[in-house]
Amino acid sequence: MTKFMLNGQEVTSIAKANERLLDVLRNEFRITGVKCGCKEGECGACSVILDGRLVNSCMAAMGSIEGSSVITIEGYRETERFAVLDKAYASVSAVQCGFCIPGMILASECILVKNPDPTEADIRDGISGNLCRCTGYNAIVKAIGIAAKEGEGLW
Amino acid sequence: MVNSYQATSLKEALDFRAKAAVTPYAGGTDLMIKADENVTYLFLNKVPEMKNIVEDTDYIRIGAACTFTDILESKLTPAILKEAVSHIAAPAIRNLGTVGGNICNGSPKADSALIFLATDSKLRLVSSRGERVIPINEFYLGRKKTALQADELLVEILMSRVGLSNYYYKKVGARNALAIARVSFAAILHLENGKIVNCMTAFGAVSDDIIRRADIDGMLIGKTIEEAKVVKEDYLAAYDREIVPIRGRISAEYRKTVCMNLLRDFLESNGI
Ligand SMILES: Cc1cc2nc3c(=O)[nH]c(=O)nc-3n(C[C@H](O)[C@H](O)[C@H](O)COP(=O)(O)OP(=O)(O)OC[C@H]3O[C@@H](n4cnc5c(N)ncnc54)[C@H](O)[C@@H]3O)c2cc1C
Ligand code: FES
Ligand code: FES
Repeated sequence: MTKFMLNGQEVTSIAKANERLLDVLRNEFRITGVKCGCKEGECGACSVILDGRLVNSCMAAMGSIEGSSVITIEGYRETERFAVLDKAYASVSAVQCGFCIPGMILASECILVKNPDPTEADIRDGISGNLCRCTGYNAIVKAIGIAAKEGEGLW
Repeated sequence: MVNSYQATSLKEALDFRAKAAVTPYAGGTDLMIKADENVTYLFLNKVPEMKNIVEDTDYIRIGAACTFTDILESKLTPAILKEAVSHIAAPAIRNLGTVGGNICNGSPKADSALIFLATDSKLRLVSSRGERVIPINEFYLGRKKTALQADELLVEILMSRVGLSNYYYKKVGARNALAIARVSFAAILHLENGKIVNCMTAFGAVSDDIIRRADIDGMLIGKTIEEAKVVKEDYLAAYDREIVPIRGRISAEYRKTVCMNLLRDFLESNGI
């Protein structure tokens, strides 16, 4: 049993302590915005925000998140900052198949929290653990830069 | 059935460790790759005594459960460690992975362990029976074996506060963490009044263990730069003899060549 905050609500998981957070989110809580691309920490499709930091949910065992806060795209979607990122991504067509995008958006949020006015290098480092097989990244990098400008004061 | 322990203090962690066969879990970024159904984890990620970075008169003391991000964010972190850690994986892995896990996995590719070896750092190993502080090069016993006892935990890494500023660090090869052709090299040359008072080098990913040969580096200690030039070729030849690449790997010879080139570049960048 693991008690934690999921998108702002206290929940209790009945999964074993050595289960992956990724599997528990998808299978027990039906949080399917968290994608599985590798289960090896390489692709970032499973990214969530754990206690304010971006992590790969496939790399976190349930027992390590007791008492922690987990934000997924389902929770983040309700924020004003999401609306700014959403618009910025759309404005440069930064989304193709969409598989990487929940993780990308959460990575974008973490980049902007750390630095509201990031350089291109900061942005590229911030998404370096998030693979995208469609876009070639340039549009995504551009979108995050636009969000930084448009969302002034929000981060 | 108990299938995990969550420690909230060091004492609690050591008690669990003493009474049950548990696998310490810090960030999980090595363990979760091959997640084992039947394992009993001892979770260390919320043990406060293992999460601090502080300094005393001699050492910077780094808690074993500090993440790479904690290392990057601390003002106390020596530049050589910060540089190596900044090249590890991507932010999401750096937010989970810890220096203690990096040391304890025993991998010759471990990037922060390389720095702790190249700086002759010490490890504070603690059990409910007591504690010991050992030089990190005594921790590695070859082929992923370490000196860690079944009831012990690595609690802190002790890095010297002085003498580490003139460093050389290179990680060569693909950025991707799982790429095989990767070599890393770290070295310190500490000069005082024109004399080499300390020379420390370490080679990663070329052999079964990270290579740290204080006996060979000793050839340069006590010498001026001019005197060091005289023994330079002997020094390089000694390493050329002693670096035995991992057998059976096609890229092994290549990696050894890269190591030797980096060693020479380290000397030459210091005028030797
Ligand atoms: C995508 C990806 C990229 C990576 N890139 C790099 C890279 O560039 N460079 C690099 O060096 N590594 C890299 N790694 C490997 C890994 O992230 C590091 O080795 C990390 O430091 C492991 O730390 P952890 O806390 O996650 O270890 P864990 O998985 O928690 O533990 C690793 C081992 O150490 C033991 N252990 C942990 N803490 C202690 C303790 N305090 N006392 C006793 N035993 C302990 C555990 O029992 C286990 O055997 C990468 C991993 C992934 C998944
Ligand atoms: S599924 Fe977690 S990083 Fe790929
Ligand atoms: S949009 Fe398809 S993987 Fe990124």
